Amino acid sequence: MDINAFNAMKTYGAAQKTLNPGAAAKTAQTVKPGGEGAGFQPIEAVKTVADTVAKSEAAAAAFMTGEADPHSVVEAMAAAEMAVETAVTLRNRVVEAYQELLRMPI
Amino acid sequence: MNSFANSMNAAANGMQAQGFRMRVISENIANKDTPGFHRKTISFDNAYNRERDMNLVKVDRVSLDRSQLERVYNPAHPMADDSGHVELSNVSLMMEMADGREANRSYEANLATFQQARQMYSSLLDILRR
Repeated sequence: MDINAFNAMKTYGAAQKTLNPGAAAKTAQTVKPGGEGAGFQPIEAVKTVADTVAKSEAAAAAFMTGEADPHSVVEAMAAAEMAVETAVTLRNRVVEAYQELLRMPI
Repeated sequence: MNSFANSMNAAANGMQAQGFRMRVISENIANKDTPGFHRKTISFDNAYNRERDMNLVKVDRVSLDRSQLERVYNPAHPMADDSGHVELSNVSLMMEMADGREANRSYEANLATFQQARQMYSSLLDILRR
Protein backbone atom coordinates (compact mmCIF):
# COMPACT_ATOMS: atom_id res chain seq x y z
CA MET A 1 0.00 0.00 0.00
CA ASP A 2 2.78 2.41 0.96
CA ILE A 3 4.80 1.74 -2.19
CA ASN A 4 1.70 2.27 -4.26
CA ALA A 5 0.99 5.54 -2.52
CA PHE A 6 4.46 6.94 -3.07
CA ASN A 7 4.51 5.83 -6.68
CA ALA A 8 1.19 7.49 -7.21
CA MET A 9 2.45 10.75 -5.68
CA LYS A 10 5.58 10.65 -7.83
CA THR A 11 3.62 9.96 -10.98
CA TYR A 12 1.19 12.67 -10.04
CA GLY A 13 4.03 15.19 -9.76
CA ALA A 14 5.50 14.10 -13.09
CA ALA A 15 2.13 14.20 -14.82
CA GLN A 16 1.46 17.66 -13.46
CA LYS A 17 4.77 18.89 -14.87
CA THR A 18 4.08 17.55 -18.36
CA LEU A 19 0.45 18.53 -18.47
CA ASN A 20 0.75 22.02 -17.05
CA PRO A 21 4.26 23.51 -17.00
CA GLY A 22 3.04 26.79 -15.53
CA ALA A 23 1.42 25.10 -12.56
CA ALA A 24 4.47 22.91 -12.02
CA ALA A 25 6.70 25.96 -11.86
CA LYS A 26 4.30 27.47 -9.35
CA THR A 27 4.52 24.34 -7.22
CA ALA A 28 8.30 24.53 -7.37
CA GLN A 29 8.04 28.11 -6.12
CA THR A 30 5.95 26.96 -3.20
CA VAL A 31 8.56 24.35 -2.39
CA LYS A 32 11.32 26.94 -2.27
CA PRO A 33 11.88 27.91 1.39
CA GLY A 34 10.72 31.44 2.06
CA GLY A 35 8.70 31.45 -1.15
CA GLU A 36 5.53 33.48 -1.24
CA GLY A 37 3.20 30.82 -2.58
CA ALA A 38 -0.32 31.42 -1.33
CA GLY A 39 -2.67 28.78 0.04
CA PHE A 40 -1.78 25.29 1.17
CA GLN A 41 1.95 24.70 1.45
CA PRO A 42 2.58 20.96 1.72
CA ILE A 43 6.28 21.30 2.42
CA GLU A 44 5.70 23.75 5.28
CA ALA A 45 3.07 21.42 6.76
CA VAL A 46 5.47 18.47 6.57
CA LYS A 47 8.13 20.60 8.26
CA THR A 48 5.77 21.35 11.14
CA VAL A 49 5.02 17.64 11.53
CA ALA A 50 8.73 16.80 11.47
CA ASP A 51 9.36 19.52 14.08
CA THR A 52 6.69 18.08 16.37
CA VAL A 53 8.10 14.57 16.02
CA ALA A 54 11.62 15.83 16.70
CA LYS A 55 10.34 17.61 19.83
CA SER A 56 8.72 14.42 21.10
CA GLU A 57 11.94 12.51 20.50
CA ALA A 58 13.92 15.13 22.40
CA ALA A 59 11.41 14.92 25.27
CA ALA A 60 11.68 11.12 25.36
CA ALA A 61 15.48 11.32 25.42
CA ALA A 62 15.36 13.91 28.23
CA PHE A 63 13.01 11.64 30.17
CA MET A 64 15.37 8.70 29.80
CA THR A 65 18.20 10.74 31.28
CA GLY A 66 15.93 11.84 34.10
CA GLU A 67 15.75 15.49 33.09
CA ALA A 68 12.15 15.76 31.93
CA ASP A 69 8.86 15.28 33.67
CA PRO A 70 6.81 12.28 32.47
CA HIS A 71 3.83 14.56 31.86
CA SER A 72 5.70 16.63 29.30
CA VAL A 73 6.82 13.45 27.55
CA VAL A 74 3.26 12.16 27.34
CA GLU A 75 2.09 15.53 26.04
CA ALA A 76 4.85 15.72 23.42
CA MET A 77 4.11 12.16 22.33
CA ALA A 78 0.40 12.88 22.01
CA ALA A 79 1.14 16.02 19.98
CA ALA A 80 3.43 14.03 17.69
CA GLU A 81 0.80 11.32 17.32
CA MET A 82 -1.79 13.94 16.37
CA ALA A 83 0.52 15.55 13.81
CA VAL A 84 1.57 12.28 12.19
CA GLU A 85 -1.97 10.98 12.08
CA THR A 86 -3.11 14.18 10.38
CA ALA A 87 -0.30 13.99 7.85
CA VAL A 88 -0.99 10.35 7.06
CA THR A 89 -4.72 10.96 6.68
CA LEU A 90 -4.13 13.90 4.35
CA ARG A 91 -1.65 11.90 2.30
CA ASN A 92 -4.10 9.03 2.02
CA ARG A 93 -6.78 11.40 0.82
CA VAL A 94 -4.51 12.89 -1.84
CA VAL A 95 -3.47 9.47 -3.05
CA GLU A 96 -7.04 8.26 -3.02
CA ALA A 97 -8.09 11.23 -5.15
CA TYR A 98 -5.34 10.48 -7.61
CA GLN A 99 -6.30 6.83 -7.79
CA GLU A 100 -9.86 7.89 -8.41
CA LEU A 101 -8.59 9.83 -11.43
CA LEU A 102 -6.64 6.80 -12.64
CA ARG A 103 -9.77 4.69 -12.51
CA MET A 104 -11.62 7.09 -14.75
CA PRO A 105 -12.64 5.45 -18.04
CA ILE A 106 -11.21 7.28 -21.02
CA MET B 1 -1.03 25.02 17.47
CA ASN B 2 -4.60 23.88 17.47
CA SER B 3 -6.95 24.09 20.44
CA PHE B 4 -6.79 20.35 21.09
CA ALA B 5 -3.05 20.50 21.51
CA ASN B 6 -3.54 23.49 23.80
CA SER B 7 -6.05 21.71 26.00
CA MET B 8 -3.76 18.70 26.18
CA ASN B 9 -0.98 21.03 27.27
CA ALA B 10 -3.17 22.58 29.95
CA ALA B 11 -4.19 19.14 31.21
CA ALA B 12 -0.58 17.98 31.31
CA ASN B 13 0.29 21.08 33.35
CA GLY B 14 -2.54 20.31 35.76
CA MET B 15 -1.38 16.73 36.15
CA GLN B 16 2.13 17.94 36.83
CA ALA B 17 0.87 20.31 39.51
CA GLN B 18 -1.20 17.58 41.17
CA GLY B 19 1.80 15.28 41.04
CA PHE B 20 3.82 17.86 42.91
CA ARG B 21 1.01 18.19 45.43
CA MET B 22 1.10 14.44 45.97
CA ARG B 23 4.83 14.68 46.58
CA VAL B 24 4.32 17.26 49.32
CA ILE B 25 1.59 15.13 50.91
CA SER B 26 3.81 12.05 50.99
CA GLU B 27 6.57 14.13 52.50
CA ASN B 28 4.20 15.20 55.29
CA ILE B 29 2.98 11.68 55.94
CA ALA B 30 6.50 10.29 55.93
CA ASN B 31 7.50 12.85 58.56
CA LYS B 32 4.48 12.29 60.76
CA ASP B 33 6.65 10.96 63.60
CA THR B 34 9.55 13.35 63.15
CA PRO B 35 9.87 15.53 66.27
CA GLY B 36 9.59 19.24 65.49
CA PHE B 37 8.40 18.78 61.89
CA HIS B 38 6.06 21.44 60.51
CA ARG B 39 3.78 20.20 57.77
CA LYS B 40 4.19 21.72 54.35
CA THR B 41 1.35 23.28 52.40
CA ILE B 42 1.22 23.99 48.71
CA SER B 43 -0.52 26.71 46.77
CA PHE B 44 -1.23 27.00 43.06
CA ASP B 45 -1.14 29.97 40.77
CA ASN B 46 -2.06 30.51 37.15
CA ALA B 47 0.78 31.27 34.79
CA TYR B 48 0.01 33.08 31.56
CA ASN B 49 1.60 31.39 28.57
CA ARG B 50 2.19 34.00 25.88
CA GLU B 51 3.04 31.48 23.16
CA ARG B 52 -0.26 29.64 23.54
CA ASP B 53 -2.26 32.61 24.89
CA MET B 54 -3.75 30.67 27.78
CA ASN B 55 -3.59 30.41 31.53
CA LEU B 56 -1.79 27.32 32.77
CA VAL B 57 -1.59 26.13 36.35
CA LYS B 58 1.70 26.16 38.17
CA VAL B 59 2.86 25.52 41.70
CA ASP B 60 3.10 28.89 43.38
CA ARG B 61 5.06 28.03 46.48
CA VAL B 62 5.48 25.49 49.22
CA SER B 63 5.16 27.01 52.67
CA LEU B 64 5.30 25.73 56.23
CA ASP B 65 2.26 25.35 58.44
CA ARG B 66 3.31 27.32 61.53
CA SER B 67 0.56 25.98 63.76
CA GLN B 68 1.24 24.57 67.22
CA LEU B 69 3.18 21.29 67.25
CA GLU B 70 1.74 18.32 69.09
CA ARG B 71 3.09 18.25 72.67
CA VAL B 72 3.32 14.88 74.37
CA TYR B 73 4.36 14.25 77.97
CA ASN B 74 7.22 11.77 77.82
CA PRO B 75 10.09 12.48 80.25
CA ALA B 76 11.99 9.40 79.07
CA HIS B 77 12.31 10.78 75.55
CA PRO B 78 15.83 12.03 74.73
CA MET B 79 14.40 15.25 73.27
CA ALA B 80 12.12 16.03 76.21
CA ASP B 81 12.36 19.58 77.58
CA ASP B 82 12.57 20.62 81.28
CA SER B 83 8.87 19.97 81.85
CA GLY B 84 9.13 16.48 80.32
CA HIS B 85 7.25 17.39 77.15
CA VAL B 86 8.29 16.41 73.63
CA GLU B 87 7.20 18.38 70.58
CA LEU B 88 6.15 16.08 67.76
CA SER B 89 5.02 17.08 64.28
CA ASN B 90 1.79 18.94 63.48
CA VAL B 91 0.87 16.53 60.69
CA SER B 92 -2.68 15.24 60.87
CA LEU B 93 -3.03 11.98 58.97
CA MET B 94 -6.74 12.59 58.42
CA MET B 95 -6.01 15.93 56.74
CA GLU B 96 -3.25 14.52 54.58
CA MET B 97 -5.36 11.61 53.43
CA ALA B 98 -8.20 13.95 52.49
CA ASP B 99 -5.78 16.19 50.65
CA GLY B 100 -4.30 13.19 48.88
CA ARG B 101 -7.72 12.03 47.80
CA GLU B 102 -8.45 15.49 46.43
CA ALA B 103 -5.17 15.49 44.50
CA ASN B 104 -6.09 12.09 43.12
CA ARG B 105 -9.50 13.25 41.96
CA SER B 106 -8.07 16.38 40.40
CA TYR B 107 -5.46 14.33 38.60
CA GLU B 108 -8.15 12.04 37.24
CA ALA B 109 -10.13 15.05 36.02
CA ASN B 110 -7.10 16.36 34.15
CA LEU B 111 -6.45 12.94 32.71
CA ALA B 112 -10.05 12.81 31.50
CA THR B 113 -9.72 16.18 29.72
CA PHE B 114 -6.53 14.99 28.11
CA GLN B 115 -8.14 11.85 26.79
CA GLN B 116 -11.26 13.72 25.77
CA ALA B 117 -9.30 16.21 23.67
CA ARG B 118 -7.39 13.40 22.05
CA GLN B 119 -10.52 11.46 21.30
CA MET B 120 -12.25 14.52 19.86
CA TYR B 121 -9.38 15.18 17.51
CA SER B 122 -9.26 11.59 16.42
CA SER B 123 -13.00 11.65 15.69
CA LEU B 124 -12.42 14.76 13.60
CA LEU B 125 -9.82 12.91 11.57
CA ASP B 126 -12.24 10.03 11.17
CA ILE B 127 -14.49 12.34 9.18
CA LEU B 128 -11.65 12.95 6.77
CA ARG B 129 -10.89 9.25 6.62
CA ARG B 130 -14.52 8.34 6.05
